[in-house]
Amino acid sequence: MGPDSLEEALALRAERGDEATVLAGGTFLGILMNQGFLAPAALLSLGRVVELAGIDVVDGELRLGAMATHRSVEDSDAVRSGWPVLARAFSLVASPRVRNAATVGGVLADADYASDPPAMLAALDARAVLRSPRGDRAVGVGELIQGYYETCIEPDELLVEVRVPAQPERAAYRKFRSRSSEDRPCVAVAAVRGERLRVVVGAVAETPQDFPDLCDGSPDEVAARYAERIEPLSDARGSAAYRRRVIAAEVRRAVEEVSWTRA
Amino acid sequence: MNVELILNGRAATLDVRTDEMLLEALRREGLRSVRETCAIGVCGACTVLLDGEPVSGCLTLAATVAGREVTTVEGLDEADPVLRAFNEAHAFQCGWCTPGFVLTVKAMRPGDDVRAALGGNLCRCGCYVKIEQAVRACAS
Amino acid sequence: MDPRVTADLRYSCEVERPGMLHAAFVRSPHPHARVVAVDTSAVPGDAVVMVPADVAHLGRYGCQVKDQRVLADVARHVGDVVAAVAAPTREAARSAARLVDVAYEQLPAVLDPLDAVARGAPLIHPQAAASARDAVSIDVRPIAGTNVCHRFRIRHGDVARGFADADVVVEEVFRTAAAAHAPMEPHAAVAEWRDGRLVLWSGTQTPFNTRADLAGLFGLPEQDIRVIAPPMGGSFGAKTFVRLEALVACLARRAGRPVKAVLDRGEEFVTLNRHPAVVRVRIGARSGGTLVAKEVDCWADTGAYADCGPGVATKMGYAGVGPYRIPHVRVDSLAVYTNLPPGGAFRGYGATQSVWASERTMDLLAGELGISPLELRRRNVLRDGDTFATGEVMRDVHFEECLQAAADAVGYEADPRGKGLCVLLKGMQTPSRAEIAVERTPVGYVVRSASCEMGQDVRQSIRLMAAQMLGCEPGQVEVPDPDTDRSPFDTRTTSSRSTYMMGRALAEAVRDMGDGERGHGEVRNEGGLDPDTGQGVASTHWHQGAAAAHVSLDLETGRTTVEHLHASVYAGRVVNRPGAELQNEGSMLMGLGTALFEGIEFADGQVTNANLSDYNVPAAGDVPRLTHDLVERDGADVHGLGETALPPVPPAIGNALASLGAHVTELPITPERVLEAL
Repeated sequence: MGPDSLEEALALRAERGDEATVLAGGTFLGILMNQGFLAPAALLSLGRVVELAGIDVVDGELRLGAMATHRSVEDSDAVRSGWPVLARAFSLVASPRVRNAATVGGVLADADYASDPPAMLAALDARAVLRSPRGDRAVGVGELIQGYYETCIEPDELLVEVRVPAQPERAAYRKFRSRSSEDRPCVAVAAVRGERLRVVVGAVAETPQDFPDLCDGSPDEVAARYAERIEPLSDARGSAAYRRRVIAAEVRRAVEEVSWTRA
Repeated sequence: MNVELILNGRAATLDVRTDEMLLEALRREGLRSVRETCAIGVCGACTVLLDGEPVSGCLTLAATVAGREVTTVEGLDEADPVLRAFNEAHAFQCGWCTPGFVLTVKAMRPGDDVRAALGGNLCRCGCYVKIEQAVRACAS
Repeated sequence: MDPRVTADLRYSCEVERPGMLHAAFVRSPHPHARVVAVDTSAVPGDAVVMVPADVAHLGRYGCQVKDQRVLADVARHVGDVVAAVAAPTREAARSAARLVDVAYEQLPAVLDPLDAVARGAPLIHPQAAASARDAVSIDVRPIAGTNVCHRFRIRHGDVARGFADADVVVEEVFRTAAAAHAPMEPHAAVAEWRDGRLVLWSGTQTPFNTRADLAGLFGLPEQDIRVIAPPMGGSFGAKTFVRLEALVACLARRAGRPVKAVLDRGEEFVTLNRHPAVVRVRIGARSGGTLVAKEVDCWADTGAYADCGPGVATKMGYAGVGPYRIPHVRVDSLAVYTNLPPGGAFRGYGATQSVWASERTMDLLAGELGISPLELRRRNVLRDGDTFATGEVMRDVHFEECLQAAADAVGYEADPRGKGLCVLLKGMQTPSRAEIAVERTPVGYVVRSASCEMGQDVRQSIRLMAAQMLGCEPGQVEVPDPDTDRSPFDTRTTSSRSTYMMGRALAEAVRDMGDGERGHGEVRNEGGLDPDTGQGVASTHWHQGAAAAHVSLDLETGRTTVEHLHASVYAGRVVNRPGAELQNEGSMLMGLGTALFEGIEFADGQVTNANLSDYNVPAAGDVPRLTHDLVERDGADVHGLGETALPPVPPAIGNALASLGAHVTELPITPERVLEAL
């Protein structure tokens, strides 16, 4: 099903629920289908819903349509000038070819632990707007992503937009790869210093690791606490023990990056 | 189902299954430059240009390209500057990944970092040095 | 314009035959299990099914040890093919394969070569079957009643005396992970029977070996089997010997129609890999730095089937001695069965694993002696007239020159910190035979050679050599695909031998043709090693090279950045310059992958990273500052370079890291291993 209006898409979603798999950019779904993990009975493609592809700034808040591609975020003048760290985080994903198709909504709805944007969006206090016939609700990334490939999105809801408040000047995104230059991250750290420091570590556990209560203190102290609090996973990119060591180094580096004003 | 599109500059109709990827549909049309390789969108050997931008043929559902423009290497002229640059630099060995690189290079923008732009195209033969030479030759 | 650029080249996986069916395979999920029952009742009627009982009468095949059945009645690795299906489309075949229900009785599995040689280890091939049939130089020496399918020995001098004479002795154990060739084009083959003759189109480097092995399997004269080898989208050793051909041939005979098989990427990881290996090196030297004794012990994990593991173990054994004058040498190199997917030919053919161990140990020794690693090597490196541990006298060797050029390229002598060196010798298939035929045509010539194209540009090399000998343009020389019906015999396209051997054969053929219509040339290189003593002629000429690496290290994360990588390779005479450069660059990059991040991961015999995201191959962003030399000499023979620049890269990087305090003994050198070593 390829609706060309948001209204129609929402109606189809409400009608079919999870029986129709939602298709955004297809970079994740395509893998599942090619590997035989998923043979969807029906597909609800959002590719023609142009209302969902926009990038706007409203009252100083960035609004990314769920179907905005990673490439459009990275290229957007509005994002580059107002949310440069977000443009950077999106630009680091995979390759231009993948970024031409992968979407803002898709990367959040997939809840793949090794993706870059969720940790950065969490650190920027972004909220995902979930819309259904019952109305809208805006949820933070931490509430949205619940586990491996699991979100809180209800069967009648579509993720339609991501809203990002103004980015503080001091913000950093670090992507540590342990193997090739094209590898997915072993440890990724998003750090933002607004009124308070916020650090979110991605790619190390089921969900982005966000501990506001650990963020007071020197870069070393924050890093040590994160390394101790997180229970990292082991995968092809590193063992849990190794990840702990990298978390300590990379969190410290990220916090250092946001602890100095720009020269 | 029928998918109408502009394929290599000409109006075309592809008869595809709803769950079929563009890679398979294009190969069935005889476009052999698009190659099944990793099936997960990381190697770039199935790259096609969709409205001028590179995408993975193996992850793009054929049904979603209705009304759009698809370009493969078969749609390029032999005078194409990227083809010529690859030929002159001998930026290939087995040639399997070459079409994916050519289309990716065609879509590069002035000022793009070359290695970042090419990172998603894998060459197991290891031709990156000469491929980079070919890209720089195109740029100048 | 080259057809590879315009996408006009057709590859082995694109062969189509009228009426053909597509194959799919049922693979064991267990590393070691008896197939108790195969229930095919759910498979649709239009699919052709084949189970072990259908092919049991055919016996076994294998290029050096006949230990493989067409379908396994005992599965010896995860991925071992126990049943096969052919159907009108690939999707239908795959669906049908999923409907085959196999009952297994699991058997104890052994997953490491050291466990496999320990007392009481389960025997993977209880009835050892040795093969003599093949134009391969190797005499196989299994150790009866064990999982050792071949042991190669060098006994040169008296190591006990040698070590007694040594002032300093160092010993270390090294490991190398399995690696995936990961050619971009997967394995592919099509089989068709015509009037009792078998015709195969296969992406293969070994058409004549394959023909011979299948002839033995089917009980046919070799002339009744035809192997045609279209160009491949990469191979690097993966597409060697019988791989898919027996399966498609049996399915085609059963179906009465041609059958095609093309593997998917996941299947590639359980088909043929690089031998994981454990190598122990012990070296003794006098305090001035003269080497006096060396022991090399190799355990090459050849997995469930021997394939060419015996040959790899042999080459691993003597490459591990290194290009040095050492009066007393003992080598024991074992090819060991385990319940992992089989190991086979992989660019470097065993040298990578033993050179890693040997050259890293040299730096350890240098440290103990207080001598520079460069100086230690210079003092001992082989020169013309020196005798190698196999008893052969070196001639036309340039190890020192390559070593010095590599060291100079990275400014090693000015400042060795963060820099590492490696010099190596690698053999070329000896003995072997190459034949070639040339015919005049109205517009030029046809040259028939069984050298298989996999990206190394061998056809262009043949064209260039022919053009030079015949006084015509390269474009006037046609070089058709290898075809055992039409191409004269060649041992195989491996071991970086083709340009050299075919060039010599071509010169003979041109001489034979004279002013006539056609000519034929044959050349042989004679030799071989006694597998019990390692004495004889390992290689009629040597592949020689050196590498140097300059690295920097993030001490907190263990991540290595290669600042500069250089390889100096002895080419003798370069025929196809762009091709030669590409082979050096490609080998170096493959070496970089092996050094830093390539490794197949197993859990209970399962491959856990069987895709190109979880298994990384080098990408554009991994290319360091990369330079290389092709060393030439007037009047020298062409020396193959398809592999030489791969094995020295990991030791160069490993030695560079050791100079920074991180002494890693296991490949790949992951950041985690570096942190553990610091």
